[in-house]
Amino acid sequence: MDAAAIEMTGVRHRYDDTCEILRGIDLTIEPGEVFGFLGHNGAGKTTAINILTTLIVPTSGLARVCGYDVVEQRREVTGCIGYLPSDVRLYGHMTAAENLEFFAKLSGVSEPRKAVAETLDYLDCADLANKRVGSFSTGMRQRIGIAQAIVHRPKVLFLDEPTSGLDPLGVRQLRETILRLNSDLGMTVFMNTHLLSEVSKVCTTIGVLNHGELIYKDSIEETTRRFPDEASLEDIYVRMEAES
Amino acid sequence: MIATVASHQVLSLRRQRVFLAMLATLLTMTALAGVLGWSSHQTIVRVYDEAVKLLASTGKPAPPNPFLLKPTLSLLSNMVVYIPLIGALLALIVGHLSIVDDETNGTGRLVFSRQVSRTSYVLGKIVSAAIVVAVVLTASLGVSVAALLVVNRAIAGADLGRLVMFYGLSWLYLMVFALIGMVTALMTRRRSIALLSAMGAWLVITFVIPQFTSGLRPTQSLNPITDPASTSQTFFKITSKFRPYSIVEQYKRASGRILQTSTVESLGHTIQRILPIAGAAVVLVLLTIRLVQRHDFSRSANSE
Repeated sequence: MDAAAIEMTGVRHRYDDTCEILRGIDLTIEPGEVFGFLGHNGAGKTTAINILTTLIVPTSGLARVCGYDVVEQRREVTGCIGYLPSDVRLYGHMTAAENLEFFAKLSGVSEPRKAVAETLDYLDCADLANKRVGSFSTGMRQRIGIAQAIVHRPKVLFLDEPTSGLDPLGVRQLRETILRLNSDLGMTVFMNTHLLSEVSKVCTTIGVLNHGELIYKDSIEETTRRFPDEASLEDIYVRMEAES
Repeated sequence: MIATVASHQVLSLRRQRVFLAMLATLLTMTALAGVLGWSSHQTIVRVYDEAVKLLASTGKPAPPNPFLLKPTLSLLSNMVVYIPLIGALLALIVGHLSIVDDETNGTGRLVFSRQVSRTSYVLGKIVSAAIVVAVVLTASLGVSVAALLVVNRAIAGADLGRLVMFYGLSWLYLMVFALIGMVTALMTRRRSIALLSAMGAWLVITFVIPQFTSGLRPTQSLNPITDPASTSQTFFKITSKFRPYSIVEQYKRASGRILQTSTVESLGHTIQRILPIAGAAVVLVLLTIRLVQRHDFSRSANSE
């Protein structure tokens, strides 16, 4: 992948008559990065993901994923991304395998059953294949959610608040999964999150969104170098929010 | 992609208890229509036999059995009432569930972050509804044929053809309601409001509109009986001009003609009755496609 994995230039978005949710975002994420997108509730993180996953069209500006324009080249963009929304419940009356097979087919996977079996094996949840998703705990559902997002082996993976509702063990498993996806499959990961502790353990780069404006973006190493006096990433985040 | 969406939706509906309950109800009503027809047949024959005996004892000649003059398919004339009542509700549920599940589960977001166009998605949903309604009606047709075989011991080819035509017309009629279920689900984000709106549309189409277009003859909205004298009020004279657009009336009359349970009319007349139903279906298909194109699937719907 020669082009930047994700590129946003002057992206603005407004829902109907409400105030502007995104106010001119400029952001570049290189292939192979694990990017943590931080921000308060209502900062515009999910709106940014919705634009990058082609679910909504930005009011103005340019957004590209894998070098493709999210508005003009929607089909190409959706061919190279995987997406896990924050509160997805999947089709509860269907088994995990049936859910995954459906999404694999929608992504044009040539051998959907094989891809589903391989994905479930890869995520160590083959035992869930024939169980109905409606009976799953939040953690199990999240694992199947990740499985649907990677069943077609996307180049860029979008995760919206992936740790919400998970217990500490679930959070740890998710963190390990993200790191494996990044190292084994070379996936670029774009993750919206509130959990700052997780960001420092998983992400290579962070960005901070405040009221629709990107107020900070740098690598984790550079960030801790620039803010040596702060005890944790949380202190840095609070200071940045306060300064903005 | 249309086939993928359609087959997935058919599987999804098969697993929904509401749908299975409605299907069981329709099949029970179909069987009931047969039982009622058989019961009335038995009663008439018994009364006729008693009359024949009485006439014979007094030395008078007996008239021919009146039941033999009735068309075979008149046994199932109640189906013309059950389809717009139970069948239409079943179709509404089918259409409603096709859309709201993707809203409330948040799966619409997953679908549209894939290589699937909105047109393929909605056409897949419509095809799935068409398949499900066809399967339901085929099951009902099977029960109807069984009922006819029980009563008459045989069924003529022409009668079977008429029955198939009746169920074909019923499929078209029910598709209108499946599409209404989809349209209302796409027009509001609240699941409960969507279902209530769909049922409101069903009430208006099935009961309210015929009240006006039939010149306020309430029994017309329930039973496919011959018109009593029409009202002379100007208001109803005007509203009755819209009668060709009352699809439930057109459905009942065309069905009566196909099953030979109502006044015989020309084939052209019957086709004219079917056209508004087909027109409504086409308009609703176009509206559904347009609504899906504009719908915001990025937000989860309120599942109240």
